[in-house]
Amino acid sequence: MRLTQHPILEFDRGREIEFEFDGRKLLGFEGESIAAALHANGIRVFRESIKRKRPRGFFCAIGRCSSCLMTVDGIPNIMTCVTPLKEDMKVETQRGKGAILLTESFSPGSRPTEARRGAKDVATVSLAIVGAGPAGLSAAAYAGRMGVETIVIDENDVPGGQLIKQTHMFFGSREHYAQIRGIDIGDELIANLSGLPVKLMLGTTVLGLYPDRTLSLLANRRHIELRADAVILATGASENMLAFENCDLPGVYGAGAVQTLMNVHGVVPGKRVLMVGAGNIGLIVAYQLLQAGVDVAAVIDAAPEVGGYHVHAAKIRRAGVPILTSHTVQRVTGPDRVESAEICRVDDHWQPVPGSERTLSVDTVCLAVGLTPNCELAFQMGCRETYVAELGGPVAAHDPDLETSISGVFIAGDASGIEEASTAMIEGRLAGLAAAELLCREVDREELKRLRSEATSSLKTLRAGPFGATAREGKRKMFKVGS
Amino acid sequence: MKDDVIICRCEDVSYGEIVEAIDSGLTTLEELKRVLRTGMGPCQGRTCSRLIARIITERIGGEVADMKPLLDRPPTMPVEIGILAGASDED
Amino acid sequence: MNHRRDGILRGEGLRRLSPPPARLKAGPVVVIECVESIPCNPCVQACPKGAIIIEGDINNTPTVDYDKCNGCGLCISACPGLAIFVVDASRSDGVGVVVLPYEYAPLPEKGEIVSALNREGEAVCDALVVRVINTKALDRTPLVSIEVPVEHVMAVRHFRRRGDRS
Repeated sequence: MRLTQHPILEFDRGREIEFEFDGRKLLGFEGESIAAALHANGIRVFRESIKRKRPRGFFCAIGRCSSCLMTVDGIPNIMTCVTPLKEDMKVETQRGKGAILLTESFSPGSRPTEARRGAKDVATVSLAIVGAGPAGLSAAAYAGRMGVETIVIDENDVPGGQLIKQTHMFFGSREHYAQIRGIDIGDELIANLSGLPVKLMLGTTVLGLYPDRTLSLLANRRHIELRADAVILATGASENMLAFENCDLPGVYGAGAVQTLMNVHGVVPGKRVLMVGAGNIGLIVAYQLLQAGVDVAAVIDAAPEVGGYHVHAAKIRRAGVPILTSHTVQRVTGPDRVESAEICRVDDHWQPVPGSERTLSVDTVCLAVGLTPNCELAFQMGCRETYVAELGGPVAAHDPDLETSISGVFIAGDASGIEEASTAMIEGRLAGLAAAELLCREVDREELKRLRSEATSSLKTLRAGPFGATAREGKRKMFKVGS
Repeated sequence: MKDDVIICRCEDVSYGEIVEAIDSGLTTLEELKRVLRTGMGPCQGRTCSRLIARIITERIGGEVADMKPLLDRPPTMPVEIGILAGASDED
Repeated sequence: MNHRRDGILRGEGLRRLSPPPARLKAGPVVVIECVESIPCNPCVQACPKGAIIIEGDINNTPTVDYDKCNGCGLCISACPGLAIFVVDASRSDGVGVVVLPYEYAPLPEKGEIVSALNREGEAVCDALVVRVINTKALDRTPLVSIEVPVEHVMAVRHFRRRGDRS
């Protein structure tokens, strides 16, 4: 179902177009993701899994998993969650792994001709920043103002990272963009770049990062090699999965995916949702679901206490949504999509309490069970890895300047440890300054020192309270080990 | 957990299959990947690695923190070989 | 039960953030239901009277100088946590007013009867919508004033429009 009214958002939909799904004519909007268009038409099953032929649908919404792979215009394995819809597209349910296409231009035995080969583009830049979210854009603004020629690369067509889905106001004080909605902060961060030597390279995926700081990029189906003197990785985080019976059934979605569907595409994920996870993400997305007119059956969390801010919990409680701590989801059921979820209480040892099972009639289960930093590019190039549970698991070891074990390679934001967007922005500034110090021979040392101490004290303030304790402890462990 | 719970959704590998493999002596993510293909599908283990690491510690003890993660290699995303080779759509 | 168990403020925690009874009877006044140390201070800057104070570190919770607060409500939509309300228990006709932030669509109409809800989302009483403000300055956090029996001004924190799903 499509949202027609929303208290915060207006949906700027493209042209209404026709496309085909398994031979049926459907309507969608040009440029929205294929997955969103199908969802809006009530279609939840996108493919059959490769061995067990289990129904699969939308899941991560960021082109990371395999759930939404479909055959589009004859080409199998298309990630429909990130592929824009075009007029007259032929979208088909994919069964199995998808057949290899044997076309005239690429048949067994044929070789690319000379003219078609070696068309590799090579570019160089002083600083390459991977990720145009809060950390990456802040890093670009600070490196840029110190005079560093910078390219920011992001696989999405729109900059802002997760900010583009955040309809709530941020906490903090003025310097942390407090009282401004996430969706508007992204615009401010972009505006901050004007007049600076910073270029955005959107719709571009980093396929690889090599020890000599060469990035292998994929843009518009072309392979580009980018050589950088320094790299800042601001690649964010991935959502954690939870295993339970039928957890792969269409209707079990990540919280970020639900936000994308609802707040970017204006398509509601279902009619009635069970939210798993009472941290800030779970509480905020539950509230956003209510704002979109979706019923939230309950927010559950295996922990004995609400993990997120009380003010976020209070908003959904007064709207009548129960928060059940010490509860978990045991199974979802339905023939090819979620029709109900069974929850139960857990004891002090996280074990299900027999007899406490309850079935909720829901068509969607939303998972907000934590994040893992995206450090794969750092690990690919050989940055030293450290496991810090408080930061979300395996992270690239880094020092207080956010520099990894490889000189000239920095990591900032959720990629350096899971925190809030407000801390990600400050970390980005610090990484941008550190990169500038490394790259510029004639950098204004006084200004750099001033900005760095400003950012450091800001970070300290943001992490000072009880909710900053985990990150504080995580960073303390990290800096003790050293990069 | 029930044996038929899907842990690796790319390669359709169940909890039961993983437990059986661990009990047969495969106790690292890399070993399990080579035998069961967990982490070899389009998501490259992004969805299941954390779950599998936990299952390993539940079966044989130890800490997730000490477990060697899967090796990260380029490319990060599935990409057609022709594009890597420099072929383009225009010509 | 502690509010961290289920997200509900009650008992002593709730009493501590209530304005003194005499102040409640004197005219509209702010109630700030912000009990945790989080780094946040827009409410302080929003108050033209300097009635909201966060001492020292911005992680400290706000306190209200009830002599300075005139219940203007400028702080309500400034609070990122939607945790600020204005209550008026000063009238002699037994009717109280609760001003609350309401980020749902569509907005209620002035004169509409709605169902007033408490902190647990339970219906407490009927309420009359007496004012709806949705100016640009409020940045999509509209303020809705509802009339309820005066004894419920410290209980009512939300409302449901009739016809909306419960």
